[in-house]
Amino acid sequence: MNEFTLPIRNLLGQPTRSALTTLGVAVAVAGLIALTGLTQGLQNSYDRGIEETGADFIVSQRDAFSIFSSSVPASLGSILPKVDGVEAVSGTLLNFTSIDNDANIVIAGWPIGSYLWRNLRLLDGQIPEVTDPPGVVLGESIARALKKHVGDDVELQFKQHKIVGIASFGTSLNQNIAIVLLPSLQELLGRVGTVTLYQVKLARPLDAKRVASVGARLISAADGFAVNNTAEFVSNIRFFHIIQEFASAISIIVFGMALLAVANTLLMAVNERTYELGILGAIGWSPARIIRLILLESIMMSAIGGAVGVGLGIVAMNFVAKTNIAAGVLEPYVTLSIVTQALIAVMLIGPLGAFYPAWRAIRLKPAEALRAH
Amino acid sequence: MIELTNVCRSFDNNRIVALDDVTLQIGKSERLAIVGPSGSGKSTLLNIICGLDQPTSGAVRFEGHPIESRTAWARIRAHQIGIVFQNFCLIPGLTARENVELAMLGQRLDSAARRKRALDLLDRLELAGRVNLLPAELSGGERQRVAIARALANEPDILVADEPTGSLDQKSSHLIMKTLSDLQASIALTLILVTHDQSVAAYCSRQIVMSDGRVASDTGRTAGGGSASDRAVVTDPP
Repeated sequence: MNEFTLPIRNLLGQPTRSALTTLGVAVAVAGLIALTGLTQGLQNSYDRGIEETGADFIVSQRDAFSIFSSSVPASLGSILPKVDGVEAVSGTLLNFTSIDNDANIVIAGWPIGSYLWRNLRLLDGQIPEVTDPPGVVLGESIARALKKHVGDDVELQFKQHKIVGIASFGTSLNQNIAIVLLPSLQELLGRVGTVTLYQVKLARPLDAKRVASVGARLISAADGFAVNNTAEFVSNIRFFHIIQEFASAISIIVFGMALLAVANTLLMAVNERTYELGILGAIGWSPARIIRLILLESIMMSAIGGAVGVGLGIVAMNFVAKTNIAAGVLEPYVTLSIVTQALIAVMLIGPLGAFYPAWRAIRLKPAEALRAH
Repeated sequence: MIELTNVCRSFDNNRIVALDDVTLQIGKSERLAIVGPSGSGKSTLLNIICGLDQPTSGAVRFEGHPIESRTAWARIRAHQIGIVFQNFCLIPGLTARENVELAMLGQRLDSAARRKRALDLLDRLELAGRVNLLPAELSGGERQRVAIARALANEPDILVADEPTGSLDQKSSHLIMKTLSDLQASIALTLILVTHDQSVAAYCSRQIVMSDGRVASDTGRTAGGGSASDRAVVTDPP
């Protein structure tokens, strides 16, 4: 028996209470991992999805709340290609819609002849042409999930479309995308004459200096609009900031509840063990050592809860990401940084929750604690 | 060794006075019994002597130094005072050996040394075959011997016992008192007993009688205020 095994034995002495508190901590950690992971995953998904198309710069509405709410006039499409150093420009209209009322996906409209069509890795079929009903290329994952093939019909934005191609992408977002011709989507969404953003590809070879100088010229040409390099674009979207803050707020609430659970458990343990703590004081345990005992119990519950919570969080995140509503939109995203944040938070709440019970424990004189028996 | 000067202890906003102006000195290797009827203040006095409680007024000095903080008292109890309680005060979830080891957790001893010392002490108190039993599995006399082993674990200078035989039958009481008496003689402990039992008090060469929170008589007090204990001949009671 030593100072580390004693708190373990104390916790095992009340297995149900210790397990429930540890589970409370685990749920808090799982919540943080899942919420942070999914929100960062969402941003990461859009980030990589846009980067995958090969654009170097994105021109969008300044201070747009979300990607989908950005609106840029089609007239800019004739100005941007003239900027020195620009190889190709493609307007893109994006919207979030349901497909066959079964799953939520991103629908994209690309102009006829856009360089984006040339980069498409078609697994089957061809790119759309102007037809009625309009043609659509589906990402491989959503086509497989819906068991759709070239030649089948799908309903997008309450309109029948004919699947003309299935394409493969490297990102979850694009694997679940539906791409149609820009004019058809503009008409469908009532946004004729506007696009969501312009994807700008620079002429190669590129170096940092050249990217910076072309970027400056683009800013000048697209006066009044936001010009970001692709890596920065998504992180500048306010929607992502808001959902991250939302996730943080929920995580703080959940952690606050876990803190109260730890404090409550330890307070009950301290109250029940007043006599034992009195004995420890009587046989010469200093107040500091008694505090350490209670803190160790909280740290042990937090550590176990943290470890279980990381696993639970990853399972929960994958479960949510695979639901029909979220598939292709929410992407599980776990990084060492997210796990470290969760574990640091949980290792803080344990001792914080133990502070008051520990203070109560040492406030009582040993004689009073023994008399209470 | 321990000196109390004008110590008062009251409870409930001075409505209950447990100790009233108590002054006494306890010297090294004394064998002292604090006796008196229930409510006379003897347990409160004992709690103050070993720092389990603090006086409302007055001073307590240990080896010449005034002791006030609870941490300082904890250090003294960890190294110099062993306490035996009437109701044993053993941790129910720990075995006899672990209860003894518990007192040594703060000492600079590794796990093996702690275990060896605990087993040696329990062996010396004739509990060698009972070391892995929980307190609930031991008899009252055995539990009290475990408590004595725990009190001796850190080789204290003073052993304090509050009604050590109060929960025991006559045979176990005699065995416990003989054990305490032998220990006191063999390792020159200062032994302080609280008891209302005159046959237990008779083991001690000095007796302080408490009444209404005051020292009614002190057989060890000399005209000069010192203790007569050094002159006392330690003998077992008839």
